[in-house]
Amino acid sequence: MPPNKPYAFVIYKTVEESKKTYATLNGKEIIDDLGQKIILYLNFVEQAQWKKLGLQALPPGLLVVEESVSSEDEKMLLESVNWTEDTGNQNFQKSLKHRRVKHFGYEFHYENNTVDKDKPLPGGLPDICNSILEKWLKEGYIKHKPDQLTINQYEPGHGIPAHIDTHSAFEDEIISLSLGSEIVMDFKHPEGDTVQVMLPRRSLLVMTGESRYLWTHGITPRKFDTVPASEQFKGGIITSDIGDLTLSKRGIRTSFTFRKVRRVPCNCSYSSVCDRQGKTTPPCLPESSKEAWQLEREHVHRVYDLIARHFSSTRHSPWPRIVEFLKALPSGSVVADIGCGNGKYLGINKDLYMVGCDRSQNLVDICRERQFQALVCDALSLPFRSGSFDACISIAVIHHFSTVERRVAALQELARLLRPGGQALIYVWAMEQEYKNQKSSYLKGSKTSHEDEEEINSDTSTEGLPVNHMPDGGSEDPGSSVPSAVNIKEEGCNPRKVELPVHTNRTCFHSQDVLVPWHLKGNPGKDKTVEPFGLAGCPDPSPVFHRYYHVFCDGELEASCQALGDVSILKSYYDQGNWCVVLQKL
Amino acid sequence: MKLLTHNLLSSHVRGVGTRGFPLRLQATEVRINPVEFNPDFVARMIPKVEWAALVQAADTLNLAEVPKEPTEGYEHDETFLRKMHHVLLEVDVLEGTLQCPESGRLFPISRGIPNMLLNDEETET
Repeated sequence: MPPNKPYAFVIYKTVEESKKTYATLNGKEIIDDLGQKIILYLNFVEQAQWKKLGLQALPPGLLVVEESVSSEDEKMLLESVNWTEDTGNQNFQKSLKHRRVKHFGYEFHYENNTVDKDKPLPGGLPDICNSILEKWLKEGYIKHKPDQLTINQYEPGHGIPAHIDTHSAFEDEIISLSLGSEIVMDFKHPEGDTVQVMLPRRSLLVMTGESRYLWTHGITPRKFDTVPASEQFKGGIITSDIGDLTLSKRGIRTSFTFRKVRRVPCNCSYSSVCDRQGKTTPPCLPESSKEAWQLEREHVHRVYDLIARHFSSTRHSPWPRIVEFLKALPSGSVVADIGCGNGKYLGINKDLYMVGCDRSQNLVDICRERQFQALVCDALSLPFRSGSFDACISIAVIHHFSTVERRVAALQELARLLRPGGQALIYVWAMEQEYKNQKSSYLKGSKTSHEDEEEINSDTSTEGLPVNHMPDGGSEDPGSSVPSAVNIKEEGCNPRKVELPVHTNRTCFHSQDVLVPWHLKGNPGKDKTVEPFGLAGCPDPSPVFHRYYHVFCDGELEASCQALGDVSILKSYYDQGNWCVVLQKL
Repeated sequence: MKLLTHNLLSSHVRGVGTRGFPLRLQATEVRINPVEFNPDFVARMIPKVEWAALVQAADTLNLAEVPKEPTEGYEHDETFLRKMHHVLLEVDVLEGTLQCPESGRLFPISRGIPNMLLNDEETET
């Protein structure tokens, strides 16, 4: 059985039945829901193997109340929702690619996944909900009366990425009523445990404590859920009695999620995932190599792995002067591309033997798909023997190292690889995006620009994260675009540390050490779903990731190269927003 | 991973230095990928190859014997060049391991991609 493919096993009571199935179905062509042709391939196996899931419990604090509303109430609630477009109505939300959404009670900010606590929406919650909420309070299913409502409509095939509802925005109890169709919801613990819970129609899901603050919840976008086949099963955990599973076709599910807006700072015991307490302490300029390594792990490595596919799709035009360098190399040269990304340069000159390496497994996978030689490693510790390469290139890589020591160390490693006389070409992003009165294409936002360091398809109206001022005095600003490098925050970095500013795309740099936003677009496809730190009811989540950069000043790259001692600088130039050096091993 | 690539790789575990080469190759899945033969290109590769390491690697993969050293006048020896072309460029290790000869540390090769990342404690800095 080829690895890394999904398989379904079917167990028959008699050999005859299984033979009959094989004869009838093997090789048969069928048409699926979307009209696509699928051919079924069957094979006999000696033994079907699967992991037996141990006894599972619901995530702590989770409760599923069946038949929490009557069928009549369900009908009434569904009919009360007015989905027609009305731009004058603040409750209105445009129909999304994935699902329709409406909000009541408070206005949402999707850019930073929180509520504007000072701007309640007129009308509050619909009357029809109030009586139902009162009933639930009386029955003891819920302890607090919510003041915010998000209505989501999921068609079969829709889902929502795994997320935790922002701690600082909402109180402990979050409840969700499922109408119209049942669904299976996935809960994941940060240490990896996954629990699948079936939410029957008209059930109320109550999330408190650990299930609300620590576990993520999400819905896989698909048209069928795998559920227990036995009729006694009404709802709750999908435990795997493997012999007892069947597919349940999803219908249109409308969820009413009620929450209470939080007015006091979050004080949960899950600080690792709490935006108020720990998780988003604003990143600061590192003061030790350990801090540097942590910053790079969070804001370089992790990000590239998550955005790999999208990133690769925006990196397709090789830059002419780099192509020139590669084409000028003698036939039969052995060349290393350090930080090769999606392998853009690995196939430029067929007369070279090129090996690419990158820190991101997902990017290296793309190189491999393109039939290039590539491996995963760290640029500070290159797994090659010294002096074994005729040439090296390192394009837009060294600016991701967060201390000068690490940048020089990366250059040192590059030089180590070269044989005497071998040349290296290095490109880094320049602080000066306007040079000799010419704006770089990054600033001009030119879509045909090959020098575009930022995504070519980026939405030019995106401004990076807006500053969010919380009126309760808490310093919960997730990231400021204030140009000054020094930003002393009570709950942020220690007073003497320098907080990293978030850069606004397509503008000049005001600081050499910055976080540059990347707006993930497009369906990652067969890759794992991206997990933004967001809210239920967040429509069409377009996650933003911050990549750390140290942009170089005029002369800085040269100076770093000169620190090496065993190289000489052959060329030094500016190329569309980048500082570039060609060096030669002595 | 081609054998020419393997010939360039060295372990960078802290303290091993030059004793980290060559990495001991073990393959569980190998594929042959036809590559267009370019005698000139192959001839230029020959002097860059660490021959003993290549012989050792070819041996573990049970490839037809690779000569102990390049024959004299190899640049014009088409038989020799074709054989080296095959060994260096057409043999592709898809699954296996690379082992540091000094420390014993194993690096996996998966789907043709060696993963040479070290833990923090292991890196030379």
